[in-house]
Amino acid sequence: MSFNDTLVIETKGLEKSFGNVKVLQGVDLSVKQNSIFGFLGPNGAGKTTTMKILLGLIRPTGGSGSIFGRDIVQESVAIRERIGYLPQQPRFIEYMSARENLEFTAAFFYTGPKSKIRMRCDEMLELVGLTDKAERPIRTFSGGEKQRLGIALAQVNYPDLLILDEPASALDPLGRQEVLEIMQRLRKHTSIFYSTHILDDVQRVSDSVAILNHGKVVASGPIELILNGQGSIIYCMTIKGEPEGLGEKLANLPWVTHTSVSQHNGSSLWQISVNDEVEAETNLLRYVLADEMITVTEFNRKKYELEEVFMEVIKGDGNGR
Amino acid sequence: MADSIQLNHVKEWSVLRGFTNLLHKESRAWWGTRRWWINAILWPILLCGLMANMLFVPAIANLASEAEISQAGSLTAYVIQMGLSVFFEFGMIALGIGAIILLQDSIIGEKQSGTAEWLLSKPVVARAYVLAKFVGNTLAILSLMLGGPIIIAYSMLSIRLGELFPARPFLLAAGIMTVHTLFYLALTLMLGTIFNTRGPVLGIGLASILGGNLLGGLFKPLFYVTPWILPKTASLSASGLSLPPEMGIIPLTTTFIWIPIFILLAIIKFENTEL
Repeated sequence: MSFNDTLVIETKGLEKSFGNVKVLQGVDLSVKQNSIFGFLGPNGAGKTTTMKILLGLIRPTGGSGSIFGRDIVQESVAIRERIGYLPQQPRFIEYMSARENLEFTAAFFYTGPKSKIRMRCDEMLELVGLTDKAERPIRTFSGGEKQRLGIALAQVNYPDLLILDEPASALDPLGRQEVLEIMQRLRKHTSIFYSTHILDDVQRVSDSVAILNHGKVVASGPIELILNGQGSIIYCMTIKGEPEGLGEKLANLPWVTHTSVSQHNGSSLWQISVNDEVEAETNLLRYVLADEMITVTEFNRKKYELEEVFMEVIKGDGNGR
Repeated sequence: MADSIQLNHVKEWSVLRGFTNLLHKESRAWWGTRRWWINAILWPILLCGLMANMLFVPAIANLASEAEISQAGSLTAYVIQMGLSVFFEFGMIALGIGAIILLQDSIIGEKQSGTAEWLLSKPVVARAYVLAKFVGNTLAILSLMLGGPIIIAYSMLSIRLGELFPARPFLLAAGIMTVHTLFYLALTLMLGTIFNTRGPVLGIGLASILGGNLLGGLFKPLFYVTPWILPKTASLSASGLSLPPEMGIIPLTTTFIWIPIFILLAIIKFENTEL
C-alpha cells in the first residue's frame, strides 16, 4: 500500500495520569496520511486513553500532540471537524432509526441541502450494507449491524482521519470480516487509526503498527519491519543433499551468531542467526552454494507472525512491570 | 467519494458550536417520542384534577366550617382559596419532583452509556451540550407540564367564579411556579454534571423539595435564599394578597438568580469533565 509521508497524527511524549496511576508514559506516535495504522496492546495498555486524548475528550498531563498539524488540546473542535470516531461500544440515539441517526450526525457538519444530506446518508448506508435496514429501530440491530452503523456514522462527514476503537473485537468472524472489508474500502479516502488486540486482523489490513504496553510504545513502524522481528536477524534455508561440516563452517563466519538445523522429508531446514544483515544477504547463500553436493530449495529471511512479535515485545518489556 | 456530494458546512458561533443540533436532539427526545403526550395528559389530570375536586365537588366544600367560610368572605371565595392552595402548593412540589425525576438521568445516563463521549467527539463544545439540555428541557417542561395545567386551572377558576378570574395575581403566581420548576430543573442538570450516579442527584433534589420547609422552619433565613417558601408565596399571591418582602420578592429573586448560577456551574464542571 502506498501512502505519502505527511503525518496526520503526531504525538511526542504524551503522558496521562489518573491520580497516582500513570496510564500513558511518553507515547510517541507518527501516523502517515492515507495509512491504516494498527494500535495494538493488551487490555489496559492505554489505547483508549490515547484515542480519547487525540479527540480532546480527556487532557494529557504531559507531552504534546497534533492532528493535521493542529494542537490536540487547543484546537480540538477544529480537529474534530475532520475526524470520524467509532467508540469501542458504538452509541446511538435509541429513539431514532439508522437513517435518522445518520442525519443527526451529519447535522453536526452540514446544514444542507436536505436532499443532499439524505443522499450522503444513503451512500453511507450502502457503504456498510445497511440500506434495507435504514428505517429500522436501532434496538433491533445485531452487534455486527450496530458496528457497521457506527462506522457509517463515523464516516458521514468524509473525515480525513477515522479513529476506530476496537472496531471488530466484539464481533463474530463474519462480522469481523465485514468490518475489515469496509476499512479496506475506506483506505482510499481517509487515514485510519484503529486499536485492537486481534493481531490477525492487524496483519491483514495495516500498513503500520505501534504496540503499546502499560502506557509505553514498545515497538512501532511499518508492518513489514515489525514482522522482521525485533531481535536477531534469522535466515531460513532448506537444503537437499549432505552438507558435510556446514554447521562448523557457518559458525566460523564472524557475522553468524547461531545456527540450528532440523530434518524434514529428506531435507534439512537451517535457521541461521546473523548480526550483519548486509553481509548475510550478499554472501550467505553464495557461501553455502559453494558446496556442489547440495541444493538449496528455499532461502528467505524469517518472517514472524505478528503474534510472535507481539509476545516477544510484551515479554521483553517484562510484561510492562 | 469526497467530491461526489457537495454539502454546505455548518457555520455556527464557535463558542456554541453544536448547540443547534443538540437542541434539536433534546427537543426530539420530548416531541418525537411518546414522552410528550404522556406528560401533556398526566400533569393537567394530576394538578387540575385535584383543583377541580376543590372547586366543583360540593361534598368537599361542605366540609368547611362556618368560621372558615366567614374568614374567606363567602363559600365561593373559600373554595377558590382551597383550589389555589392545592394547585400552587401541591402543584409546585409535584412539578419540582417531576422535573427532578425526568431529568435525573439526562446527563448521568449519557455519561454512563458513552453517548456524551460520542456526541463530544463531534465538533461540539461542552457548554453547548449543557445549554442544549437546559433550553430543550425548559421549553418542553414549560409547555407540557406547566402550560396546559395553568390554562386549564385559570379556566376552571373563572368558571367557578362566574367571571374572569383576576389575571394579574394568577399570572404572578404562575410566574413563581415557573421559576420554582426551573430552579429544580437547573439544579438537577448541575448535579448530573457533578455526580456519576443517580442516587445523589435524586437524593439532594428530593431532600430540598420535601425537607426544605422543615429546615426553613428551624432556621428562617434559609427561606430568603431558597425556593422553599415559594409554593406558599404563589398560593397567596394568586389570591391577590400582598406579601412581605421576606416571603415574596426576596426568595423569588434569589431563586431566580440560582438558575443561571447552577447552569454556569454545570458548564464549568462539564467542561472539566473527562469522558
